[in-house]
Amino acid sequence: MSRRPTAATLRRRYESDLHEVRAAAWLGLALGVTFGLCFLTGLWSSLAQDPPGWFTYPARPAGVYRITQWLHVASGTAAIPLLLAKLWVVHHHLPRWPPARSVLHAVERLALLPLVGGGLFLLLSGTANVARWYPWTFFFPRAHYWAAWVTMGALAVHVGAKAAATRDALRRAPGDPTLVRATRSDRRTFLGGVAAVSGALVVAAHGGTFAPLGDLAVLGQRRPGVGPQGLPVNKTAAAARVIGVARDPAYRLVVDGAVARRLELTLDDLRALPGRAATLPIACVEGWSESVRWRGVQVRDLLALAGVDPGARVEVAVESLQPSGLYRASVLNHVQARDPDTLLALEIDGEPLHIDHGFPARLVGPARPGVAQTKWVSRLVVS
Amino acid sequence: MTGPSTPETTSRRGLIAGLVVGLPVMAFGTRGAFTEAARVHPAELGRWIVGAAVVNDLLLLPAVLLLGRAARRLVPPHLWPAARTGLVASGVLALVSWPLVRGYGRSPDNPSLLPRDYASGLAAALVAVWLAVAAWLAIDHRRRRCGPIASAGGAQPTPTRSTTKTSVSSGPITPPAPREP
Repeated sequence: MSRRPTAATLRRRYESDLHEVRAAAWLGLALGVTFGLCFLTGLWSSLAQDPPGWFTYPARPAGVYRITQWLHVASGTAAIPLLLAKLWVVHHHLPRWPPARSVLHAVERLALLPLVGGGLFLLLSGTANVARWYPWTFFFPRAHYWAAWVTMGALAVHVGAKAAATRDALRRAPGDPTLVRATRSDRRTFLGGVAAVSGALVVAAHGGTFAPLGDLAVLGQRRPGVGPQGLPVNKTAAAARVIGVARDPAYRLVVDGAVARRLELTLDDLRALPGRAATLPIACVEGWSESVRWRGVQVRDLLALAGVDPGARVEVAVESLQPSGLYRASVLNHVQARDPDTLLALEIDGEPLHIDHGFPARLVGPARPGVAQTKWVSRLVVS
Repeated sequence: MTGPSTPETTSRRGLIAGLVVGLPVMAFGTRGAFTEAARVHPAELGRWIVGAAVVNDLLLLPAVLLLGRAARRLVPPHLWPAARTGLVASGVLALVSWPLVRGYGRSPDNPSLLPRDYASGLAAALVAVWLAVAAWLAIDHRRRRCGPIASAGGAQPTPTRSTTKTSVSSGPITPPAPREP
């Protein structure tokens, strides 16, 4: 310590030893886990909303979507401090002369643009979507979806290039000792701090889904129990422009398509049918979910009433009174249509549905994303 | 770029394997964006992706580095790790809560959406962060004073964080030569 520090050691101290490969490796590992989880749960959400022909989205377990979608927003939120910290740790590699040593190296460095830009865009756009802020003209879900594929492809390139060094840097005694610069305690303090920020951010933004953490979720998009009948609303009747038609006494529920008997039922007809109660969550794609007690008519009972063969593999399109909008209709596959808890719900906790929750009747089924729990239902088309 | 001490971390074989897997995935995503061009607006999406990287690399990171340097001069070295964590937490919270505080997404007909007072929420979160930083420093201070052996019965004597650094960097620090670009 009495030795006069050289320029190099001074610079290293001043520039922080945390710009090292081992710290980058830990953050990279954490980012791999959070982005991987976010990507998989995002794919799951996409399968739930736009199932391709080869995939039958399951109806059970009933809470699966609320879990996967919470994990999606939580892992994305957790990744924000991780990604910023990672970019800080490696920033000194950005300016480099010559920019690349070889064609292959140039390709590797070029792939960092979709990786860094795509990763930042995914976290930014997801966070903005939860805040309902759309400073762009594209349709968020699809742009987010395709950007995720591009980013994950770039991530595969990066992981391929860096896997060996990451493994080496995390060894107790790396083969290349220059991978480690910071002291163990400095690194632990830094990484522990980043992890704490990650965790705190997840609680602040998405802890509200777990009622006991409701008051800590100061940045939550919702508040547990706030909304008509204690349930938050995504699209109001006014925004959907259905207030008049939904309250019209001439309301009829039509069941048609591939049926033996076309049905046209009034609200009183529906109420007179044998009902069923089920406790199911509304699980929003934006991460919040809340379970309430629904009561209504089983969709499979309506199909039986219309003379649909109970063994037939049918698909049911559920249409809303809503005149327009991407989510004015949704589809029940045969598993969902036959599930005993797939209801045309008429009541929440013994009261008729609030008009913002879909009065006179809304679809509610297990494991479905909120946007597919169609409100103000006027027609079931069997095919 | 920092001379011989910068380790080589790219594996050529790994990179080729990564390209074999990653390029088709990137092509799939790009093709999808163009197939759905009417909804995805690929040119605009591309500007956002490139823009996010550019804004981070040319604005956000340099600003963080400059702020970090300035703050590090003001804060005594042994307080720095805790202060740094507090600053990072504050910055991230401010970034994430920005659209909420501004209320861009509020809709007058739907009071259940964005129902909180986010400015107060952000303030409360910042207070919590700096209380946590203060608690961290208090615990650290006690541990320093009591020494590692006196703290928590039977704990193995681990050297307190950054003691060596503290002693070295207590003298005046001459700014380093500018790094090569």
